[in-house]
Amino acid sequence: MTTYDDGADLTDLTATVERVRASVEKVIEGKPEAVRLALTVLLAEGHLLIEDVPGVGKTMLAKALARSVDCSVRRIQFTPDLLPSDITGVSVWDQQRRDFEFKPGAVFAQIVIGDEINRASPKTQSALLESMEERQVTIDGQTYELPSPFMVVATQNPVEMEGTYPLPEAQRDRFMARVSIGYPHPEAELRMLDVHGGVSPLDGLRPVAHAHEVVKLIEAVRGVHVAEPVRRYAVDLVGATRSHPDLRLGASPRATLHLLRAAKAAAALGGRDYALPDDVQALAVPVLAHRLLPTAQAQLNRRTAEQVVQEIVQQTPVPAAPQQAGGLGLGGRMAQSGRRSRGL
Amino acid sequence: MSGRTRLALCAWAATLMTACALLPLVSPATWIVQVALLLAVQSAVGAAARRVPLARPLTVAAQVLVTLVLLTLVFARQQAPAGLVPGPEAFRHLAGLVRQGAEDVGRYTTPAPLTDGIRLLLVAGVLLIGLIVDALAVTLRSAATAGLPLLALYSVAAGLADGGAGWLWFLLAAAGYLMLLLAEGRDRLSQWGRVFTGAVRSPRGERGSAVAPVRTGRRIGVVALGVALVVPLALPGMRHGLLDPSRTGAGHGDGGTISAVNPLVSLRDSLNVDEDRTVLTLRTDTRDTSDLYVRIVSLDDFDGTTWKPSQRHIVAVPDTLPAPAGLSADVPRTEITTTISAADWYAQDWLPMPYPPSGVRIRGSWRYEPVGMTLVGDHGQTTRGLTYQVRSLQVLPTTEQLATAPDPAPALVREYTKVPRTLPADVAATARRVTEGAGNHYEQAVKLQNWFAFDGGFQYDTQVEVGTGPQAISRFLRDKRGFCVHFSFAMAAMARTLGIPARVAVGFAPGTVQGDGTIAVGLKDAHAWPELYFEGVGWTRFEPTPTRGTTPSYTRSEEPGAPLPDPAVPSAQASTAPSAAPSATAGCPPELRRLQECPTPSAQPVAGPSDDGPRPFTIAAAALAALVVLLLPLSPLLWRRRVRSVRLGAHGRGERDAVPHTLAVWQELTNTAWDFGIRPEESQTPRQAAARLVRLGRLDPVAAASVHRVAGAVEQALYAPRPRPVAGLAADVRRVTEGLRSTASRGTRLRALLAPRSATRLTWAFAARWAAVRSRVAALRPVLRKPSAHGPSRPEG
Repeated sequence: MTTYDDGADLTDLTATVERVRASVEKVIEGKPEAVRLALTVLLAEGHLLIEDVPGVGKTMLAKALARSVDCSVRRIQFTPDLLPSDITGVSVWDQQRRDFEFKPGAVFAQIVIGDEINRASPKTQSALLESMEERQVTIDGQTYELPSPFMVVATQNPVEMEGTYPLPEAQRDRFMARVSIGYPHPEAELRMLDVHGGVSPLDGLRPVAHAHEVVKLIEAVRGVHVAEPVRRYAVDLVGATRSHPDLRLGASPRATLHLLRAAKAAAALGGRDYALPDDVQALAVPVLAHRLLPTAQAQLNRRTAEQVVQEIVQQTPVPAAPQQAGGLGLGGRMAQSGRRSRGL
Repeated sequence: MSGRTRLALCAWAATLMTACALLPLVSPATWIVQVALLLAVQSAVGAAARRVPLARPLTVAAQVLVTLVLLTLVFARQQAPAGLVPGPEAFRHLAGLVRQGAEDVGRYTTPAPLTDGIRLLLVAGVLLIGLIVDALAVTLRSAATAGLPLLALYSVAAGLADGGAGWLWFLLAAAGYLMLLLAEGRDRLSQWGRVFTGAVRSPRGERGSAVAPVRTGRRIGVVALGVALVVPLALPGMRHGLLDPSRTGAGHGDGGTISAVNPLVSLRDSLNVDEDRTVLTLRTDTRDTSDLYVRIVSLDDFDGTTWKPSQRHIVAVPDTLPAPAGLSADVPRTEITTTISAADWYAQDWLPMPYPPSGVRIRGSWRYEPVGMTLVGDHGQTTRGLTYQVRSLQVLPTTEQLATAPDPAPALVREYTKVPRTLPADVAATARRVTEGAGNHYEQAVKLQNWFAFDGGFQYDTQVEVGTGPQAISRFLRDKRGFCVHFSFAMAAMARTLGIPARVAVGFAPGTVQGDGTIAVGLKDAHAWPELYFEGVGWTRFEPTPTRGTTPSYTRSEEPGAPLPDPAVPSAQASTAPSAAPSATAGCPPELRRLQECPTPSAQPVAGPSDDGPRPFTIAAAALAALVVLLLPLSPLLWRRRVRSVRLGAHGRGERDAVPHTLAVWQELTNTAWDFGIRPEESQTPRQAAARLVRLGRLDPVAAASVHRVAGAVEQALYAPRPRPVAGLAADVRRVTEGLRSTASRGTRLRALLAPRSATRLTWAFAARWAAVRSRVAALRPVLRKPSAHGPSRPEG
């Protein structure tokens, strides 16, 4: 049995996560990768942006995740007339007490579902900035801590652009990962018709994990070991996005941090107490792609940020242990190739 | 003309110019024309193949093929289908010619006749060198390294040639090589743009000081060649130089020594020639010519292995030569005059003369060596075509004079009885045994001579090698086969062990009297004999070689008082010779026995290996070389096996050893996969590499599980905080290897075994080290280089 330094049990973690995953998959069928990524982001203390066409189950995934964990859930339907105070809360004059009383907004919950986030004005979208990054809300000079765990699961529709406000870079950078659900497989869709035909599948969902359990899991994930070569690998990958000719804007240092935290969570989900380059590779596209801005030329060439990240992953040499550099069977010329690919 | 064509032309010319060094070795020199033509065809094929363009190995292969066809056409036309296609018959014929050529080379002295065998050796050798030069300089664009094959060719020629105009051939060969280098340099420069062949003019119209690089190259080349030729003349060498202590005051050149060519080398060749050519023609005023030995030089320095002439002072030739050392007035003598004509082709540094000479009349530049009483050519003077007159003494001592000779001067005894410590003890022991019962040095000498010539059961055989090493004499005494060199060396050495001053004379035995009264001395009369010193008589000739020369009258048993074996009585010494036939030879007169014309009951058996069988060192070296040649193609296999056993071998069990062992095992796994054609991908993680290996290697589930187990261990080793040792990884690798082998084709399996692809890592490692060294040197260069005065940052004026 593998144990972590802080005493959290790896078997407990996988068992808890497995229960949550099974619960969510009752609702979202045939999309294990999306579910796994959502859980990874939850354990890595990140926020998830679900981006896809309408009707594929974006909100359903967010809701299923929220319901499977026994914690406070708030749902905000972002509309053009939504105000920042609707999200963060507002101070109201209490005549009896002759004082301002703070009415918390929708953000004061452990899982916040922001539906159609790009429909709100940039001003309202920006209201989430502080809470997402610092897990606190400041109103009228007064700072209010948000509960733990805290996770924003936002959805947006990338096709319908009329009456929407694309998320600013600063906002996008605060989401740890972006996931597309995609259309279900015909078989899964058929099964969905049978199962979900009559009643909403969410109705049958019961919490399978407590919030304090999730907090413990998050603590355990923090203890996952990331070897120096893997850290360097993450830095190399992110660094490559900054000098790639097809990208106008590369990924930020925050992206490196998110990538590493997500890799830790993925390692824990895989039952390991150490992260692998494989974890980093698997998460590179969901964690990095939504932060990158392709150049006009690349857009003309129909090059997407996902393609660029995949290309970078393929070109960046996998790290070897320091004492074995150049001698590992993965490629004796790693050091040399590394210089070459970094120079691109 | 394109750069490559010029380069190919230069390679052709360089090879041909170097091949000119072979010209003095063979006569006539018509072969060089043939070589030039064939070489031109070979170069043209190379140029055409490069123009196509073919891959480099294919270019060389095409040239090899065409060369084979050319050789077949010229040398084995009758044996080849259509006169061109080299088949097995043609190859057999060519191999026969090569064998014959090798024999001819061993048989003839230079200049050798141009036999078919020698012609094939010359043509094929030069074509081979030409092919290598062309491949290196033009195909591989590395003209500098093409100097090595050219040097090899020149060295062979220079090693075989006996002096002459060596500087001319050197100049030709060096000029050819320099031309090749210049052509390559020019070609390389031209890739940067047009090559300026004249001096550049500055914008102000003054003639600039910068000279075109090509012209500078030419000048440097010419100067270097000139220096290479001139400087050795002025520099003092180990010998023959200004500082040579043996050099005499008057005159110059190499008059200080007389050891330029070992006369023994050519002696055996002379004895083995098919056609007996006349070397010297003698006309003398004595009637008894049986004692007319013509001496060239005496060898008095014995190092245990061979005899050679000592370095002696030489002086100008006096009108009357001094009396020979040790000859007292009461010894009977007659003075004879001999006119000697040397053949046009006979070039000898020493003057052949009867011994002891008392006066010489000769033209040319000669110098006199008083101790050996020989004349040595100065300034390259040889006997070629000379006619000269020699007055000499025929000394006829009585046996009594020899038997009662007093002890010589101690200094002389010391010098001429010197034997090295390495001389085997059995030489001295045999000498003592043979001369048992002899009362004085003279009797000892006669007993020795007769033992060799008559009673010892020795056989005259010119096919035996001269022999090297301290054991040569010992071997000869055991095998009892040899020719004059063996007999004279052995007798002189044995005489020295008995305290008799001895040396070996080299020259000619008495020739054949012709109808016109002259005496013709042929190549086959070349001879060596011992000279022993007796006080009052001087250096006295003995003749131990059976069937050769004549026994001196003062050693014959007919002489009264000489305690020599009685022909009528079976020889007592015969018992010392194991294979001798005393009973049969008993009734035979000694002179006939010496000539080995007595009937023998059985042929002399060959007792074991000949005198000059290959030495153990030679055998060991040859075996080692053969082993290396055999092992060379197997070296990748052996290297791979060694590396595998090291990687999968024993290792420590601790956590500290886990990481290196796991990584070594993983490297072995990926290298094995590479050997089977699955190239490692650098951007793959261990588990991706494992999945790819399973997929491409079509591994069965068991082997696949092994691959993943090893990959998992590698992940742990590389990325886990505390890697744990995993057992059974080596077995996993073996399982995977088996799996890969079972799905691979036979060709792939064979290649993985004999030419493993992963051996490329060796090249990579070497390249990485080389790059490291270069970068280190490059880092040092700015420190070493002086800052340029014409740097762009410096303001003008």
